[in-house]
Amino acid sequence: MMENPNLIELKGVSKDYDGVTVLKNIDLCVRKKEFVTLLGPSGCGKTTTLRIIGGFELASEGQVLFEGKDIAHLPPYKRAVNTVFQKYALFPHLNVHDNIAFGLKLKKVPKAEINKRVDAMLDLVNLRGYGKRHVDALSGGQQQRVAIARSLINEPEVLLLDEPLGALDLKLRKDMQLELKSMQQRLGITFIYVTHDQEEALTMSDTIVVMNEGTIQQIGDPKTIYDEPANAFVADFIGESNILRGTMIKDELVEFAGASFPCVDSGFGENAPVDVVIRPEDIMLVGEDVGQLVGTIASVLFKGVHYEMMIDTGDFTFKVHSTTMQPQGSRVGLSIVPFNIHIMKPMEEEA
Amino acid sequence: MKFLKKTYLGLILIFLYIPIVVLIIQSFNAGESRALWEGFSLHWYAELFQDERILNALYVTLSIAVLAMIVSTILGTLAAIGIHAMRKRPQAMMMTLTNLPNTMPDIVTGISLMLLFLFTRVERGYVTMLLAHITFDTPYVILSVLPKLKQMNRHTYEAALDLGATPLYALVHIIIPQCKQGIITGAMLAFTLSLDDFTISYFTTSPLVQNLSTLIYSATRTGIDPTLNALSALMFVALLVLLLIVNRRTAEEKAQ
Amino acid sequence: MRSDMTLPSWAWIVMVAGLVAFVTMIVVSIRRHQGVKRSLFASPYALWMIIFTVLPVILISYYAFTDVNGAFTLDNFKNFWDSHYEMNKVIAAEGERLGVDYSAYIQRGSVNVDTLVYSLWMAFKCTLICLIVGYPAALFMADRHMKLGSTLVVLFIIPMWMNFLLRTVAWMSLLEDSGLINNFLRWLGLDSVQLMYTSNAVLLGMVYNFLPFMVFPIYTVLSKMDYRLTEASADLGCNSFQTLYKVTMPLSLPGVISGITMVFMPSVTTFFIPRVLGGGYTMMFGDLIEAKFLTEGNWNAGSALSLLMMLLILVSLSILRKVDPNGEGGGLA
Repeated sequence: MMENPNLIELKGVSKDYDGVTVLKNIDLCVRKKEFVTLLGPSGCGKTTTLRIIGGFELASEGQVLFEGKDIAHLPPYKRAVNTVFQKYALFPHLNVHDNIAFGLKLKKVPKAEINKRVDAMLDLVNLRGYGKRHVDALSGGQQQRVAIARSLINEPEVLLLDEPLGALDLKLRKDMQLELKSMQQRLGITFIYVTHDQEEALTMSDTIVVMNEGTIQQIGDPKTIYDEPANAFVADFIGESNILRGTMIKDELVEFAGASFPCVDSGFGENAPVDVVIRPEDIMLVGEDVGQLVGTIASVLFKGVHYEMMIDTGDFTFKVHSTTMQPQGSRVGLSIVPFNIHIMKPMEEEA
Repeated sequence: MKFLKKTYLGLILIFLYIPIVVLIIQSFNAGESRALWEGFSLHWYAELFQDERILNALYVTLSIAVLAMIVSTILGTLAAIGIHAMRKRPQAMMMTLTNLPNTMPDIVTGISLMLLFLFTRVERGYVTMLLAHITFDTPYVILSVLPKLKQMNRHTYEAALDLGATPLYALVHIIIPQCKQGIITGAMLAFTLSLDDFTISYFTTSPLVQNLSTLIYSATRTGIDPTLNALSALMFVALLVLLLIVNRRTAEEKAQ
Repeated sequence: MRSDMTLPSWAWIVMVAGLVAFVTMIVVSIRRHQGVKRSLFASPYALWMIIFTVLPVILISYYAFTDVNGAFTLDNFKNFWDSHYEMNKVIAAEGERLGVDYSAYIQRGSVNVDTLVYSLWMAFKCTLICLIVGYPAALFMADRHMKLGSTLVVLFIIPMWMNFLLRTVAWMSLLEDSGLINNFLRWLGLDSVQLMYTSNAVLLGMVYNFLPFMVFPIYTVLSKMDYRLTEASADLGCNSFQTLYKVTMPLSLPGVISGITMVFMPSVTTFFIPRVLGGGYTMMFGDLIEAKFLTEGNWNAGSALSLLMMLLILVSLSILRKVDPNGEGGGLA
């Protein structure tokens, strides 16, 4: 019998609270050992999706399949899924050892084995010797590690992480991102990770699920999501973008900002309204005479690796990243290669 | 300035403690007069243990305080957990219900309960007094437990379920330990309130079943004999010792 | 089991049935929701409060608006306003029967209203004294540099462990003619003064009993206040008195309001203190209610008075709540 490659499947899952829809018809497959990130702004439904998988919320409609079996009505304590909560939710009345041992004690594992496994876990998360400590006496990063150890000790098939690094400072965050990723690869556990930080999602994930207003906008690997955003929302949310209204004159020729540009997209029809997305680093500054567009530099900001310049072409103000600085007020030419012009169907007008 | 402040506080304390000192001195007076000192004696203390009426009232007072404390702590803790889990509307309703007894003067509470018992033809006595005490104790338990629940990270309960605990196990091992302090405070408050209550007891019991307060009240008409002073002095000292032990304990726990 | 477990059997049946119903509800909920619906835990309490708080209040209202035969009437309230109301009705009827004008004999009896006004006046004085005496006490207790707060809270609570009736009676031994204070005055060669059985003795007893309820809430609010605020105020040029009334006092308002509530309410309704220290010469509203029920056995009139009392307090509370909408004033707990 062929093994089903999908560990978790959501089919047509919707959720509403008192008539307010927070999830609309979500379809999602998660394969074994995959690192999936649910990414979106707050209130987009990513945490609700996670809580439905964890069993803390019942879906109003749809199926939740685990290894092909419907678990929609299985309570959390009967699911082979464990969660690392936002702000960790460590038990404040238990010490580090007892927090981590909690799940094993419930399974009536013999005491000697519990101790052995807790110590192994403490080693795994680099907290050897912290067992007797009180959880309130730990730093944020250490609490984070305890929360992860507490979930992993149950050897779950899937680990759900709800903005686990949200409360850490930037440096620690970056370290933990790498550590989590390598942990996931070593242990071979499926991670479903919720974050609103697009950089975090791009760094860690095998697959990113971009969500907004209760619907999935795009599913894909980080590179696809970044390079080929499916719509203006994704483009805007992932990285920085210039998003403009344009018209597809014909296949492979688009007009925006008062000029026409060759591009690589086709199939939109002739004179069709489209959204055009151009990344700031994809706009090249050239001489005034050779630019496809000409503009005036309105402002210049130094950002460390590059300069961020706002360039006014009369029709639109482009954001441009460049490693060479042009003085404010000078006139420059802008040039964009066809491959870097992303054409997408215009976003549905908001009702 | 500091000296003045301390003097001021000292004067207030003297004001608060004067009657107590008087009471305790009277309990050692050989004579029965409230004002004349007729020599030191433990006479009233000896008499105390022979006075059936007082011992019975003591039993009623203590047993009702303990029972009311136990029942109201269980009832109130469960209620606090329930109220905490409620949605906004029913929660607001329950809080109004909980605050209602606090905004009702004791005398109205007592009389309304008396009317209830008279109306339902339940003879007033030990049980009705106990029911009344549970009624006025429980809101205080809720009001002490609820803030602890609100401080709690609500995900700890879910984390326990997630790690394989059944809801009941999570309730007993995760939620209740986290609001233990509030439960203890509530229980102690309930015990104290019940011990000291007069007005509500007065209206909800019969002359046949008296607690110390109602006994003292009826004695004020005929004149209080120093036996009652002796008893209160003993209870006062007992509670003081208890307080010191508890304090010592918590101090030791903190030291560890 | 004690012989005075006097509940009728139906009451026990109701209680057992309630318990069984609760357990059943929980079990059903576990079956249905794969877990306990926790809001159900409040149901025994809700039921309890309906039986022992809501129902009794309904009963009081019922008696207040009915006469002895259970017919609707407003006479109980008219009786409050005019304590001679019943008598006047009889006189007027008699006059009509005889065709004589008795109107000169009809006079409004003002005992009830006077008692209420007197109670309110006493409660007001008591609250004011408690505030004036208690506020500085709370302020000094909350003084960070003296570190006396928690010890003093305990010292304020301890007297309450002595039965409050006995403590009040103990004041008698101090205040009476042959009491300690007068003996002391005589020893000094001064004339003794009448202290007992005056309204000032009652006031003293009330202040004595209720002072801690003013101090605690104010202290709680003050001790939670960020002390850097007073430092900031000093930094901005306020002297310590300006800081007190421009920063500390406004911020402690919730505690003051909570204290006023906790002192005023029991003051209006106290009925033991005036009886002991006032010797029954000064009647307060609590005494009146008690007398209506237990001495006169007139439940309807007593209920009307209780209802009025409750309304009075609810109205004053809601006014106070307006000033402190969040109810931040700390209580005893």
